[in-house]
Amino acid sequence: MLGLLDHPAIQSGVAPIAVALIVAASLASTRFSWLAIIPAYAAMVALDTGFSLFPPTVARKTILVGLVAPLVGIAADLYPRASRTIAAALAVLTGLLSIWVFTTVLQNREQAQAVAAGAGVVAFVAVMVAAVLRLRDDGPRAGATGVGLGLAVGIAGLFSASIGALMAGVAIAAACGGMLIVQAGFSRALAPGFTGTLPVGLLCALVAAGTLLLAELPWYALPLLLLIPAATSLPAPTHRLIARIAVLVGYALVAAIIPIGAAWYAARGSFF
Amino acid sequence: MFKRLAILVLASVPFAAGAASDSYTFDPLHTSISFSIDHLGLAMIHGRFSKYSGKFTIDRAAKTGAVELNVETASVDTNDNDKGSRPRSRDEHLRSADFFNAAEFPRMTYKSTHVVFAGDVPTVVQGDLTLLGVSKPVAITVERFRCNPSTATARERCGGSATARIRRSDFGMKRGIPSIGDEVLLSFGFEGDKD
Repeated sequence: MLGLLDHPAIQSGVAPIAVALIVAASLASTRFSWLAIIPAYAAMVALDTGFSLFPPTVARKTILVGLVAPLVGIAADLYPRASRTIAAALAVLTGLLSIWVFTTVLQNREQAQAVAAGAGVVAFVAVMVAAVLRLRDDGPRAGATGVGLGLAVGIAGLFSASIGALMAGVAIAAACGGMLIVQAGFSRALAPGFTGTLPVGLLCALVAAGTLLLAELPWYALPLLLLIPAATSLPAPTHRLIARIAVLVGYALVAAIIPIGAAWYAARGSFF
Repeated sequence: MFKRLAILVLASVPFAAGAASDSYTFDPLHTSISFSIDHLGLAMIHGRFSKYSGKFTIDRAAKTGAVELNVETASVDTNDNDKGSRPRSRDEHLRSADFFNAAEFPRMTYKSTHVVFAGDVPTVVQGDLTLLGVSKPVAITVERFRCNPSTATARERCGGSATARIRRSDFGMKRGIPSIGDEVLLSFGFEGDKD
């Protein structure tokens, strides 16, 4: 049993999706079902590296931010009338927060390089979070985006010499996949609100930026990740929820091929 | 009487000079820092660090000494820079956040706290290794230590070999355990000219 729990597929795939299914199904009748993302992600962390706050590395700060994000999301969801303003503010704040997350890396660089890298990361995180927050009223679109983004960040991370990014990305994808299964099972879309979209967008953005700064992800893979929330904004069937989910996941997976391909190209120097 | 006193004072000067601590800087051409680690319970994978700096001091009379070593983590080298059909080489992976996290922690350091002597020769160096921002006590066993005296054309040179064992998980480096071993054997071959 212990050997099974050591397997990466169990840690990042099976465990998160199982936790997401159980928690989301339990909370499906409330507006907090998307909180399931966090225990699902936490399950991967617990099985992979365990929880530790010291020393405060980029990876540990990312986990901490991801675990706190839904609490901020719950508070933001209390003000639906101001949601557009809140979304913009959260995008900017999370972008600036990324400077704190990546301080230990940026301070090791030459000043000009650090400023350029920091500005790029701030912009990317802010835009990615804004793009995912736009889907806060649409459970299928948000879930499909999470699946596509998680897989893209994870597989691109693997090609960039980071198994940690693979684990985190696949866990987010598995958790969002669990949310899609619950929606399909209950035949009811579950709006994620800020509670669900903030942790998904923020975690995916921070893991991707971390793979750029700490591993070998090429910089041009980051803007290509934005194709995924753009793709899931395309028209999708409305008459049957399962068909809608399937089409949206299809959009997300096709769009995910592009940043994955960019990471592969950077690793190999060619596509073949 | 004053003449005898003067002779006694002059005769004691070399001993007073010998009681001072001698400092040696590691010679990069004749110093190596290598490690080996178990892989899948099959082979031991060997690697080294090619960029480092530091010095060691020794005071044989007082039976004290010190070692300070700074190693650049990005210089890790397991003789695997050719990716072949893989997306990334092992050395690229070792530099990433999964292992040495060189971008965030560009250096690992060792600073001694105490040196144990057997006669005039150091046998154990106790100190703190700081890796990935975590400091843990690590004892280095000195297996050989000797010095060649200075000549007309060369300074005094000391050197030897030493080993140590650490558990990388103690420093937060847990990726790959147990497929990739937790225990790491460190081996040092060192030489240094007297400063």
